[in-house]
Amino acid sequence: MSSRLFPPPACSSPAEAAAWTRRRAWAGNLRALVGRAYPRVRGLNREPSWILFEILLPFLTTSAFVFVYRALQAPPEFVGFAVLGGAMTAFWLNVVWMMAAQLYWEKDQGNLELYFSAPMDMMSVLLGMAVGGLVMSSFRAAAVLVVATLVYGVAYSVEQWLLLVAVFVLTLAALYGLGMVLASLFLMWGREAWHLTQLLTEPVYFVSGLNFPVGRLGLIGALAVATIPLAVGLDAMRQLTFSGTDIAFDTPPPEIEALILVGMTVVFTLLARWSLRALETRARREGRLTVRWR
Amino acid sequence: MTSGTSRVPAQPADLPAAIEARGIRREYRTGSTVVTALDGVDLDVPPGEFFGLLGPNGAGKTTLIKILTTLLLPTAGAARVFGFDIEHQTRQIRRIMNMVAGGEQSGYGILEVREQLWMFSQFYGLAGREGWRRVDELVEAVGLAEQRHQRVSSLSTGQRQRMNVARGLLNDPWILFLDEPTLGLDVSSARGIRDLILDWQAAAGGRTVLLTTHYMAEADELCDRIAIVDRGRILAIGTPSELKRRVQGESVFRLELDRLDGGPATLAALPGVVSAVAAAAAAPGGPVRQTAVVNLVLHDDAALSGVVEALGGIGSRIVALQKSEPTLEDVFVELVGRGLEEEEAAPARPARTTTAIGSEPGSPPARPDTSHEAGDLEEDEPH
Amino acid sequence: MSEPGAPSSPGSPGVGGALDPARVRGDPGETWRAFATATRLGWQMEANWTDPFLFFVYSVAKPIASVLILVAMLEIIGGSATREYRGYVVVGSALWSFVMAGIAGLAWSILDDRERYRMLKYVVVSPSRLSVVLMGRGVARVAVGAMGAVITLAFGIVLLGVSFDLARVDWPLVALSMLLGLTGIVAVGLILAAVIMQTRQEAWSYPEAVAGALFLVSGAVFPLAVLPDPVELVGLVTPLPWWIEGVRRALLPDSVSGIGGQGSLWTGLTGTPAPEPIQVLVALFVTGVVSTLAAAIIFRAGTRRASSLGLFDRTTGS
Repeated sequence: MSSRLFPPPACSSPAEAAAWTRRRAWAGNLRALVGRAYPRVRGLNREPSWILFEILLPFLTTSAFVFVYRALQAPPEFVGFAVLGGAMTAFWLNVVWMMAAQLYWEKDQGNLELYFSAPMDMMSVLLGMAVGGLVMSSFRAAAVLVVATLVYGVAYSVEQWLLLVAVFVLTLAALYGLGMVLASLFLMWGREAWHLTQLLTEPVYFVSGLNFPVGRLGLIGALAVATIPLAVGLDAMRQLTFSGTDIAFDTPPPEIEALILVGMTVVFTLLARWSLRALETRARREGRLTVRWR
Repeated sequence: MTSGTSRVPAQPADLPAAIEARGIRREYRTGSTVVTALDGVDLDVPPGEFFGLLGPNGAGKTTLIKILTTLLLPTAGAARVFGFDIEHQTRQIRRIMNMVAGGEQSGYGILEVREQLWMFSQFYGLAGREGWRRVDELVEAVGLAEQRHQRVSSLSTGQRQRMNVARGLLNDPWILFLDEPTLGLDVSSARGIRDLILDWQAAAGGRTVLLTTHYMAEADELCDRIAIVDRGRILAIGTPSELKRRVQGESVFRLELDRLDGGPATLAALPGVVSAVAAAAAAPGGPVRQTAVVNLVLHDDAALSGVVEALGGIGSRIVALQKSEPTLEDVFVELVGRGLEEEEAAPARPARTTTAIGSEPGSPPARPDTSHEAGDLEEDEPH
Repeated sequence: MSEPGAPSSPGSPGVGGALDPARVRGDPGETWRAFATATRLGWQMEANWTDPFLFFVYSVAKPIASVLILVAMLEIIGGSATREYRGYVVVGSALWSFVMAGIAGLAWSILDDRERYRMLKYVVVSPSRLSVVLMGRGVARVAVGAMGAVITLAFGIVLLGVSFDLARVDWPLVALSMLLGLTGIVAVGLILAAVIMQTRQEAWSYPEAVAGALFLVSGAVFPLAVLPDPVELVGLVTPLPWWIEGVRRALLPDSVSGIGGQGSLWTGLTGTPAPEPIQVLVALFVTGVVSTLAAAIIFRAGTRRASSLGLFDRTTGS
């Protein structure tokens, strides 16, 4: 049994086994990304309750805000704003729950030490989590968008489709970059991380203008556009999907906001890379990678 | 982990030390209290060795493993794994090692066994198809062929641990760290895992295993050498036989003969015999046997042949011969002054600063053992 | 635990006294003890005023942000013309803290105990009823939620200009509405807990999703008359809109009705613009009873299913 099931090592020495080329390291990280996305994707059809909880119920929540506008007899564009905001919530929650707080859950499960003792880059793992969750988030966003649009009769007016798609992709990129930064912070903060995810829901929804043009918040809105990918991305998408509307957004044009998103993506990605490494070292020094009860 | 070329594996003699640790110290700060989990550990493990860390709970074994597996940084000291520094060359170490802990509940219950292992194979950079192939081989090897499509959440404890061992072998590591791998397993499952690890290690030279355990028998059975650890310090290192000889230099036998003319004194005079004393022929309350039983103490095993020859010469026939050996528990007691169970059953004691204690932060501090101050204890220099 | 060497059979003096027949599942004394212990445990686990950060997150930031979202929406659309609605949304948002605590909170207790603390199976095999333990934890969470409600209300009155006259508050209506309403909330929470018991770890977001869906039919932030009739009817058969209506009517007597109003089912069926307080209380009581009965049935079925499928100690995740 031994020789067949336990063949000799493929490398002649540990030094050779440890000497990965850059290409091999990149390939390894890509595989790690796929590997980590795998359970998320597999889980979709093994636990179908998400269809109710991740699609139908969020649609109802978005509908609540739509009906607030109806009660106020608001212009129809505002219904569209609420619908878009509800759709983008899916991606924000994916970042917050399935990336930022995920390392805390992994530590709880005992997976974190296995991740850190493997040769892959932690960014690959986080991206894998995000990509795996992206499937569910996309379903949710699409369902909210399509159903709400049909049910509530939202009329869109898009003139720059390419820019709209680019803004959407850039928003996701910036969001996931932010998610990785938050994940590294959460690694250090233990159970506080879970509570921090709560802070990243309603308060962020408010300052990001999830249901209304963020520019109406004045200075707060301006700060949000400068710092929160959700705020700037959502605002740009609103401007592009309701082009020609009389409603004043009081924010930079979508082209500028797209550039802001590019900057955010770069900054967050670099920051994530630095913070994951720095905080891993700190976590190793303080023994926080493996202790569950904090 | 393949480089795509066929190689002749290096012989252990050609490889650097699997583990080289100098002055490893690990302290944890809880508020204003400093708690010492490891207190200056030196360790050398050559490649290809099955090395054991034996000690009670809270001795520092897991802390040391976490340092060597790059999950924890030492407060002081340095260590290398196959020549790679644990602090600055973590990536290289992670490519050539793996670890398995007892009672692991890692992974994702919603996945099947095969899927879970494949996922981990991707973390070690195995190509997709190669990963599946490797997974199928290991599933077979660990005896989980029938469970391969079963969800992880439905596995029994023993099955789960076998899956964990398979995960530990996915990347064919040069060094495998086992942290109490048979914890909580039944006898059969534990034996299966031990046999599996031995098979894996024997299949190629250079494969090194570092095992932590508080099961004396497991360490005795598996390990080429053992370090006895207590309160963050290594008290002694040696082969199981060397360690036992610390306690009992002579060889002790219980000899049952059909008859012994002249009594035990006949044997006491033989060369190499330290003492020969008559013993009870039967256990109390047991059936009385018409045999002569002698407790024989020899300078070493070599003297036994002389005794057997002499017995033949006087017409005595050996009915039963049993060697009485000290256990590693005896070694532990000798070194530490208390039994392993006593150590584990001891109530929580008030903390004292800079006292070597448990391997995990937050564990109850131990009472300072003033009967064994540092320096009083006999410590072997690692070699 | 018996001393070594002591006789080990139950009922013998060596094992801490004779078997206490009161320690039987369903005994009122035991039930109360389980409830009280769970409440105390829940309070210690959830009460976070001693940790400024946690207090800020749950009792200040989240509730206030929720109300600010709504007030911003009002301001943007109608400016000063919508000031009369401010009180409406402020009270509704404040009361929503109880809903999150009572409904989502009970479900989170299941998830906490099963996934994080791994204690759920021990609670299930103990003599105490799981439902009683959960209700105790729920009561503790609701008490913690009260802080958020009070802070939101105070914020609305002091900083958002909600007109509030202490002398005009109908305290008996507040008390009765809260008592009946919170009972109904805990009942709905038990229903959700039973559902959550059947799901996997990713269910952390589910309780909030359900609470968000209830937001639509509760009349918390807009009158139910705005909804299509079938949807409005769904809301009216739950205790939530009646509870919110009762408390809002008691605190802000001049507030717009969430139940009645032009185009509402209530006005269409009764001809009156809004229900009277006694009608609100009766409807609240009836819907509360129905919810409680439904909770009892669904929770029992849920625990049976969970037991048969071995879900109490299942931890899964992706």
